[in-house]
Amino acid sequence: MNFWAKWQRRSYLISLFSGLATTGKHFLKNLVGLGDRQTIQYPEERRNYSKRFMGVHVLTKKTSGDIACTACMLCATNCPAECIHIVAAESPHPEIEKYPAVYEIDLMRCVFCGYCEEACPVDAVRMGRDYEYAELSERNFVVGIDYLMNRPQLEGRNFSLFHEPQKLINQKVLNQKKAS
Amino acid sequence: MAKIKINGKEIEVEAGRNLVDVAKENGFDIPHYCYHPGLSIAGQCRMCVVEQEGNPKLQVACNMRCAEGLSVITNSAKVEEAVQANLEFHLINHPIDCPICDQAGECGLQDYYMKHGKYDSQMREHKVLKEKAVDLGEKIVLDKERCILCSRCVRFTNEVSKTGDLAIFNRGDRSVIGTINDRPMTGNYQVNTVDICPVGALTSKDFRFEQRVWFLDSLESVCSGCSKGCNVYVHHKNEKHIYRLKPRFNPSINEWWMCDEGRLTYKDSNYDRRVTASQLRNLEMPAEEALQVWAADLKTLLAMEQADGIGVWITPHETNEGLEAIFSLLKKEFQIQKFFGPDAERIQKEDAPADGFLLRTDPYPNTHGFLKKVKEFGIQLRGLKDLEDQAQKGSITHLILIVPESEKNADELQNLSLRLHPDLFVVVISPSLSVCQLFSQGLWLPSLTHYEKVGSVFNHAGLKQNLNRGLNMFKEAHSLEFWMEGLHRAYRNPLDSKQVSKMEMRK
Repeated sequence: MNFWAKWQRRSYLISLFSGLATTGKHFLKNLVGLGDRQTIQYPEERRNYSKRFMGVHVLTKKTSGDIACTACMLCATNCPAECIHIVAAESPHPEIEKYPAVYEIDLMRCVFCGYCEEACPVDAVRMGRDYEYAELSERNFVVGIDYLMNRPQLEGRNFSLFHEPQKLINQKVLNQKKAS
Repeated sequence: MAKIKINGKEIEVEAGRNLVDVAKENGFDIPHYCYHPGLSIAGQCRMCVVEQEGNPKLQVACNMRCAEGLSVITNSAKVEEAVQANLEFHLINHPIDCPICDQAGECGLQDYYMKHGKYDSQMREHKVLKEKAVDLGEKIVLDKERCILCSRCVRFTNEVSKTGDLAIFNRGDRSVIGTINDRPMTGNYQVNTVDICPVGALTSKDFRFEQRVWFLDSLESVCSGCSKGCNVYVHHKNEKHIYRLKPRFNPSINEWWMCDEGRLTYKDSNYDRRVTASQLRNLEMPAEEALQVWAADLKTLLAMEQADGIGVWITPHETNEGLEAIFSLLKKEFQIQKFFGPDAERIQKEDAPADGFLLRTDPYPNTHGFLKKVKEFGIQLRGLKDLEDQAQKGSITHLILIVPESEKNADELQNLSLRLHPDLFVVVISPSLSVCQLFSQGLWLPSLTHYEKVGSVFNHAGLKQNLNRGLNMFKEAHSLEFWMEGLHRAYRNPLDSKQVSKMEMRK
């Protein structure tokens, strides 16, 4: 190999400038065509996730507003991360036998695989769409029925399909929207 | 003896034995709901149909006795079709509420549906609805919908417990089991009906909604409730919590049954009733340090030749191995003379069935072995009254209480705890928190409950039963053998000042 070719390779000048060219290209692109850039202004602007995105779980309700879960513990059985903790008890409601007195999910342990949703025989637990959860303490990531069923983001749209046909639910949501 | 053929395999069995049992022993599983080896034959469920050679119609195996030349086929297409059809009939009015049913996971319907199910329902009618969650007294909940009317429970109350509580009422698809006017069930053997129920119609209140059965592991053990020594399975989760006891078949002791009192003995093993650390005057400390404190006190007394000032309270609740360890150290080695305990000889003499069936009046699981060991070591046992007097007068200054887990002991020792002489140093070796709390100024050493022990016990008839493996519920709780060995070690090698200062540094 001659001296010139060797120098070229050793100095990395070609790769340096080609790299800089890429950076410069994107810089100019972002400077001129503002709409095409890859970064988004996060809190104001949000990415559109796929419809199958699995976020923080949702516990659904019956039409009466009671929790749809019957505490059969199939979700806890299926959970590979063992993050679901259920304590079953006799329901105070005379028509219902068994209900979960405690239903806790440890979001830090959860791997968001969705097996709980698959296992549920009564459509009581679903994977929600929320992905923003930040807390100051680790213990706050263990969330209970209150958060899973009644958090404001759900807007009351968590009715169990098992207890109510889809049409009725749609009607209900429409009525709620009209009322508000 | 008779030679029979099952599916072409020749088997030699005792003549007159039941075909379902024989088939099971030889690896041919004949499905059945109503047949139970401990009960009479009903032929209700028709699940056990088999093809008999020379008989054009299918026959029920549960009503068939083994005789010379009997030849049956259990796996032909004809049999399978009949079993499937019969199972379909059983499921017609079954609510299939498995998610809320405690039996799910050990349910006969679930098991056979996986094997013999016709997966498409042919029913167009609505299911017949019946009463759910009927309260039958303090132990049982009845679900009339789930019942498949196998009548096992009815036969049990008629033939075994002889209370005659349950019966089948009405006819056709309106038939239900129940008690007259839903009166509560009576007797000490109600929960056996839950065990023999092949579906979730009868469920135990004690276990209701506590845990799904597939989370439970089982351990073979012996009940600690009385001197009968019924064989049990201990159902626990991860060795951390015991959920229930189930009878284990033993033809010479309890057969398939056990009493309801015995079923509750597991409660004393669970966390809420246990001492979880060695403590001196409510100050927690490691086991080694607790042993040093104990050994130091014993040593002072023994060095001053005051072995008379040491008293030991012991009950026949311990295993033979535990008793051996205690007596060989305290009696042989330390020459302690004052042993107190319940009057085991009288208890054994008066021992009789308490309710005509399994439960006995002797509340200790090892009275027989205890008396043997007492005789072997030449120990004079004195009663509780004597102990109370001596503890009050102060003629004993060091009292070792070895108390088992059951709550009865706390009531027994209540009087003693109120009459302690202020100079008396009490060492309580017990798993029970309520016992230890009576002696709050003493040294507490957590020991094992019955289902955690390894060893052997003698039942009322002198039959030796081994506890091969115990649960491992607490790492702080130790067996009596461990405490005795530790005491001996601490007694021989007391800590010198260097080690003590090291220990203090560590704190």
